[in-house]
Amino acid sequence: MKTQNLIETKNLTKQYGGVRCVDSLHMQVPQGAIYGFLGPNGAGKSTTLKMILGLARPTDGSITLFGTSVNTRNRIRLLSMTGSLIESPSYYGHLTGEENLHILQTLKGCPEADIDKVLKIVRLEEARRKKVNHYSLGMKQRLGLASALLGFPKLLILDEPTNGLDPSGIQEMRELICSLPSEYGITVVVSSHLLGEIDQMADHVGIIRKGQMVFQDTLEALHAHARQQIALRTGRPTDTLSLLRRNGLEAAKEDDYLLMPMIDDERTAALCRQICEQNIPLYRIEKREKSLEDIFLSLTGKETSL
Amino acid sequence: MRTLQLEFYKIRRRKVGLTMAAFLAAQFLWGLWAFHDPTPSEQAQGFLSLLYSIPILDAVMVPPVMAMLASRLADIEHKGCMYKQLETLRKPGSLYHAKAVCGLLIIAVTFAAQYALFILLGYAIGYQGSPDITYYLLSYGLKLASNSALFLMQLALSMLFANQMIPLVTGLCGSLLGLLLMFVKMYSFLPWGGNLNSALVMMDWDARTRQATYYYREYSPVELAAVGMIFVWFVLFYAAGRVLFTRREN
Repeated sequence: MKTQNLIETKNLTKQYGGVRCVDSLHMQVPQGAIYGFLGPNGAGKSTTLKMILGLARPTDGSITLFGTSVNTRNRIRLLSMTGSLIESPSYYGHLTGEENLHILQTLKGCPEADIDKVLKIVRLEEARRKKVNHYSLGMKQRLGLASALLGFPKLLILDEPTNGLDPSGIQEMRELICSLPSEYGITVVVSSHLLGEIDQMADHVGIIRKGQMVFQDTLEALHAHARQQIALRTGRPTDTLSLLRRNGLEAAKEDDYLLMPMIDDERTAALCRQICEQNIPLYRIEKREKSLEDIFLSLTGKETSL
Repeated sequence: MRTLQLEFYKIRRRKVGLTMAAFLAAQFLWGLWAFHDPTPSEQAQGFLSLLYSIPILDAVMVPPVMAMLASRLADIEHKGCMYKQLETLRKPGSLYHAKAVCGLLIIAVTFAAQYALFILLGYAIGYQGSPDITYYLLSYGLKLASNSALFLMQLALSMLFANQMIPLVTGLCGSLLGLLLMFVKMYSFLPWGGNLNSALVMMDWDARTRQATYYYREYSPVELAAVGMIFVWFVLFYAAGRVLFTRREN
């Protein structure tokens, strides 16, 4: 059975002045996934999420939520099945945590009992009657997550939810996010500029660079990318390159090495034999494991910050 | 309706009531000081004179109060970045409408209390006769319309600009302009002149006898047009504020 995509964007574009912040983006978030939306600062993650939530108008393209194309008439109805935390937590500082949740609970039309449930989930029960202005940043972030969880939506969109949290807060938030699909059946989209963070949470990944989706697949596929390279160093690299091409292997030169995709042991042995038969000196043959960081940098450009 | 109820819930502890009470207290204290020792002529015309004095007082005092009220209602959303949350739950137009209605209800109650306070003051200091209810209601209606227009302008500014100094300074400038307009003419097409347009009573001051004679105003066609302008501003500020708020992006 084909899994339904809860979010699907086609050619999604956002242009401010002459600058395309999001450029023809195709995004697919399968149901039940934790979708890590990864990209360097300023890549267009927040703008994309804002367009999905109707907070910014796309210049071009379409957005489909829960299988229905979003327009101004059905936007609020579709978003009622969605919770969100964009950039920083939203709150009324002069009201208590509980009063903040009461406002959103009334607007969402969900049961009042949800307030207790979400406060328990984010572990804010003891601070429920404290004014939010007196909360720490971590508590505000947790309150933001509690607000997003009200009504237990089918889809949760979290934009850099660990921003400003201390290491234990990050760990806590990560565990919480990881538990959402299995415990509450919630599909989560979580954006971050930190690869390690997404690696620990997500099962699907979308990598955005300068507004364009440069990779989108499962985390496994991204990891698989990381393992598939053999590095060769020979005395005649140009002849070796021709030999590899004759064998149907695309290789790239990197320093003194030729990098080619991973092949099985028998094929590797046959290739080594051919190299020796042509009297090409074979100095080294190595298995290269590209780290996720390497892949991320190669996809997003080395000049960008992580 | 639910969104409107929540607007009142949101302004808990924002001391909006206290702000309006302080405004009324300031006007009441001024009234006590200005009217506490009336001459027989002033006692005879007392309730009539209030329909002249109150709009003039309002022309100076109300613009900054409207700016403060609008700011108190709107800045709670800016401070906690709430719009990006609320606009996933309600249409921006409906949020704007709820805030406008919330403010207008507060204004309606405040001005009703203001008239009640001044009428009580009149009785307390021995004004003769009783207030002409028809004129008082008409004056209240015009005052409500003109100051609501000012409030809607301030609300639009407060909701569009996160920096509340912009609307507050506009309110203060409006106060000065209201004062200035009084020295020019007793009517104006500007939004800050609405209180002058809604003064249903005029005064003749006899410098020789130092006596004031109050009489019901007979509106000239230009003055009537200025009164009509109040309603144009009201509709214009509401529509412009709503459209701009709806079109902006978070």
